[in-house]
Amino acid sequence: MSEEARRFEDVDFGDEIPESFADVRLATVHVFTEASGMTFSRFNDHQAARKQGMPGAVVPGIMSQGIFAAKIHEWAPGCEVEKLDTVFRAPLIADTEVRVRGVVTDMDDGARTVEMDLTMLNEAGETPVIGTALVRLA
Amino acid sequence: MKLDLHNHSIKSDDGRAKVDNYCKWIAKRGLDLDGFVLSEHRQWDGESDYRALEDEYGLLILKASEVETEYGHVLVFGVNDDLVNAFDFADVRIPLRTVLAEAKRCGAFAVPCHPSRAIVGMFSHFDEFGPAEGVEVVETLNGGGRGTENDDAVHLAAQYGYRGVGGSDAHIVSHIGRCVTEFDDDIASIEQLVTALQGDRYRALSVDLD
Repeated sequence: MSEEARRFEDVDFGDEIPESFADVRLATVHVFTEASGMTFSRFNDHQAARKQGMPGAVVPGIMSQGIFAAKIHEWAPGCEVEKLDTVFRAPLIADTEVRVRGVVTDMDDGARTVEMDLTMLNEAGETPVIGTALVRLA
Repeated sequence: MKLDLHNHSIKSDDGRAKVDNYCKWIAKRGLDLDGFVLSEHRQWDGESDYRALEDEYGLLILKASEVETEYGHVLVFGVNDDLVNAFDFADVRIPLRTVLAEAKRCGAFAVPCHPSRAIVGMFSHFDEFGPAEGVEVVETLNGGGRGTENDDAVHLAAQYGYRGVGGSDAHIVSHIGRCVTEFDDDIASIEQLVTALQGDRYRALSVDLD
């Protein structure tokens, strides 16, 4: 591992993961669904998803969880994501602009863990996916 | 003063925020907020005592409930022993007329929340059940509002003559303070909040926290 681990002592309540975009292009979703065996049309085909009542092809929930986990690891190399809890309030649509945010909302000195709020924002600024994570730092 | 009237802690099944972390967050971010209300889903939390946190952070922390009716979800402020025994807070189909009548009888106050949201919002049931009798106030600004929900709530509240309040409906720490209610008078207790809600010296505000 070439990146330096983020240490618990270097983190403070309220610290943020820098906002970044999530790659939810349909082509990327397709790669994910092929690899995970989730080859349902609602994930891979905008037109088919619309026929099923969705606004467009839906990003699978576990892909959103994977995006959250990846953003945490980018922010804190060497960490362990011990728990990731997500709430899906509305469909996250492929081929849209999705921003990801994270912020430290609790710290446990003894366990060297932090709790984080996680949010995905859609183009309207709404949060179709929110979550929390328990992360053990070096 | 500004109060956020609708939030959930880990006492709610879908709440992920500890109350002390709400307080830390408000202090750390310097939010323009004098206090907040915890409105746990389908229950009355009679046990939790947040007075130490109030003193430590200089915030007013009040407790309410969010119950479920055939017209959607309803915040109930001023819950007391009489009201707890008046209906089953865990029931997901309490008649709205029962919630309104019993709240009034027991000195509490009921406010349908996120009223323009499908299924869980009061206005979405008007076609089926007709306008609800006895409603005075609705939550016109909800922090989890999507699309035109809040705009629709403001419009429909005006149409039906309801007063409006604001609440974040926060389930995670960083979502508190997104929608608040600004009161013209000071409030120091749940009884004073109920009295204030019975009047009209307040307004819902949306807060841009970005």
